[in-house]
Amino acid sequence: MHSIWAVATNTIKQALRMKVALVSLLLLIVILPVLGFSATGDETLKGRLQTFVSYSLSLMSLLLCVLTIIISVYTVTSDIEQRQIYTVITKPIRRYQFVLGKLLGVIILDVMLLALFSAVIYTITIYTPSFTNASEAELIQAENEFFTARAALNVPEEDVTEEVLARYEELERRNELPPDETREDIIAELTKRKQLAKRAAEVGRALIWEFDNVKPLAETMFIRFKYDIFPNPPDSQVYSLWLAGDDQYIKYGEQPDTPVYEQSHKHAARTFHEVEFPSDVVPEDGKLAIAFVNIPPNEAPVIFPLDGFEVLYKADSFGANFVRSVFSILLRLIFLACLGLMASTFLSFPVAVLFCLVFFFTATFSGFVTESFGYLSENVGAVYSYTLERVIQLLPQFDKFNPGKFLVPARLLSWSELAKAAVLPPWWGFDGDMVFVKAGLLLLLGLLIFRFREIARITA
Amino acid sequence: MEYAIETFSLTKIFSDWWGRAKVYAVDDLNLQVRSNEVFGFLGPNGSGKTTTLKMLLGLLHPTKGRALILGGDGSDPKINARVGFLPEESYLYRYLNARETLDFYGRLFGLPPKLRKMRIEALLDMVGLKAVANRAVGTFSKGMARRIGLAQALINDPDLLILDEPTTGLDPIGTRQIKDLIIKLAKRGKTILLCSHLLADVEDVCDRIAILYGGRIQSQGQVRDLLQQTNKRQITTDAISDATVAKIEQLVRDENAECVVTSPMDKLETFFIRTVTAAQKKAQPTSGAVSTTKIGDFLTQPPAVENILDKLVAAPISPDLSDRGPLTEDVAADTVSKSRPDEQLLSKLAGSSEPGQPGIAGFQEKVETEAVQTPTPESEQVNKDILQRLTGGPADQNEDGQETDNSQAGSSGDA
Repeated sequence: MHSIWAVATNTIKQALRMKVALVSLLLLIVILPVLGFSATGDETLKGRLQTFVSYSLSLMSLLLCVLTIIISVYTVTSDIEQRQIYTVITKPIRRYQFVLGKLLGVIILDVMLLALFSAVIYTITIYTPSFTNASEAELIQAENEFFTARAALNVPEEDVTEEVLARYEELERRNELPPDETREDIIAELTKRKQLAKRAAEVGRALIWEFDNVKPLAETMFIRFKYDIFPNPPDSQVYSLWLAGDDQYIKYGEQPDTPVYEQSHKHAARTFHEVEFPSDVVPEDGKLAIAFVNIPPNEAPVIFPLDGFEVLYKADSFGANFVRSVFSILLRLIFLACLGLMASTFLSFPVAVLFCLVFFFTATFSGFVTESFGYLSENVGAVYSYTLERVIQLLPQFDKFNPGKFLVPARLLSWSELAKAAVLPPWWGFDGDMVFVKAGLLLLLGLLIFRFREIARITA
Repeated sequence: MEYAIETFSLTKIFSDWWGRAKVYAVDDLNLQVRSNEVFGFLGPNGSGKTTTLKMLLGLLHPTKGRALILGGDGSDPKINARVGFLPEESYLYRYLNARETLDFYGRLFGLPPKLRKMRIEALLDMVGLKAVANRAVGTFSKGMARRIGLAQALINDPDLLILDEPTTGLDPIGTRQIKDLIIKLAKRGKTILLCSHLLADVEDVCDRIAILYGGRIQSQGQVRDLLQQTNKRQITTDAISDATVAKIEQLVRDENAECVVTSPMDKLETFFIRTVTAAQKKAQPTSGAVSTTKIGDFLTQPPAVENILDKLVAAPISPDLSDRGPLTEDVAADTVSKSRPDEQLLSKLAGSSEPGQPGIAGFQEKVETEAVQTPTPESEQVNKDILQRLTGGPADQNEDGQETDNSQAGSSGDA
């Protein structure tokens, strides 16, 4: 252990005395405050905060990722190319200890830099409201919709299979089925229509969502929604009546023991809005119902798009959520450190850096990459799905657990979500990413290569 | 006899990209280096010396054959802990300063902090870099880097020291110091493999040599056997009168032999050291390494101190000594400053007891080292000290003593 620690501290010293670390440090220290003042978003305080957090976290993440790649590759390749390793590896240290020491050093450095930069970002974020002359309403909005960590109630997907089948049989009886389409196509089409109908409300009609086992976890809860309306009214405004309370009341009008939220609103179509309601409307049995009523002067049916309705509640503080977001960045840094070390056990500095950067950018845009390959695969078929697809699955999917995705809409990034990204597999319904497992495999590969390679042979 | 280094048909072939054999860097090498000898490994550039060393240390894999050092594998940490290695160039971390460099290597050996600190200071003192200990090693001249390289090879007080061209880039004083050090370490029972093509250095210190060419050993044996001219005799005297010289010449002629009489020349090395020592005494400033003739205390401490203590305790001497704990280095590390007086006391005790006693020789050694550490006013004196130390030292207890004496005579006895 002492030798691992000796190598680790030496690696940290090397990185700190390298100009690369210094340059990125200066860059961030200069850029972050500038971003803080120049990011304005949609001119509201919330928009400003969202823009800043999203940009600054992405920037920090990108810089640290590149820095991690460069340092982890450089620290091994320079030892080999400048031959300091001759005097190190001939001391009582095993080769795996040497690599682990380097890894530990890079990770400690990452933790230090990450802590420093995220502290700066956090401080700027927290103090932004006091430096802007935002109105009281904006402050409250920022408090409720940004400086928080909210979880969403699961909107139960309505099962329409039976209705669709019934409708299909009815059409079949009436002999009205379109002749040149297969049964699957017709069923799919009917399902689509049925589901759309479930999310649409004619003028004067209501849409009701029901939730089970709701526990009022915070003082207020939020309905986050987006309208589509056809045809579009001239001013794009949608009038509505929102109700929230005991499901028996909402559905059948039975007088409840708990209060009921009932409020009419006017919102613009096709952007997200939030409606706040008190948590004490949730009945004791936890059966909460929420209703939207399409009221005049609307003249057209209102449709909620697929991701257009959510019920949010405050589950944690902004600070805790921020810390977990930083952890998710650390996850990818650890992965990249393992990747860099693995590459540097058999490649020279420029080649290893190139290799890692390609790996990194592919992982960053993994969604896009998988999608485009998936599109290609329709033509290539089996060859693709048994070769390239497997390889792409080995890449971590950084965009899947992007911290901005959680902090910007003030969405809870829970520890279990983090664990999903770190260790859980993408199959068996976990939808994880196994970043740690993938990093461990890479590291193991690197250790094996390093164990058997000839140290004194310099590969150009 | 156990060998410190032994190779069996060691072969290294460097092949090209396709795996075709290209160069036989080392070819069927069978090398045996005995424990406690100074072995010179000679050869022109590219003769396979460094490749052999790299295979010994596990930096390269042999194509064929096997290499054992200290009876084990060169990549085994247990073996590495007993080996000191100075590569052909001092490959150092340029961003560390001298003290940090040694600290790093000390920590790789897992030396406890106090012992580490003590050794680092002793080594910095020894290689004359104490004044620049806080300067980044990257700014060092080649010779200064070499000194740090040597210091890192010694920080674990190794049983086997492998030195690849240790004197390249060093000034004559540094060279001389390394040679003195090698002799001292050999006296303490260490084994040294000296790889060089500077023949003068090798000749001065080595017991046995092997000459390598084309990856094969061309010649191997005792330096004395290989170099002694058995058909010549040399007599060195004090300044005697011309009349006596004439008488001697007459005697020689009577035996039908040739005779040449000259005044012996100083070696340039001796003259150089004398000049620089004089300048140092005037305390002229230098930005480089300060040449000293000091050798790290822990390196010159006699081996197995307990044994000597045992003997001292067994001998009828002042009783308070028996109260002292064993003076092993690990214990001494805790009381670095305190151990000094003890040593001096021991030295006195050792000096007063019978000179022929085995084991005490080490302590006399110690006393003389101290004498060198505080240079006597006249530079002549320093030389005499060294000379005396090298040749006139008490009979060595180790079996190679005779050989060591002989090779040392080569360094000073060119008169």
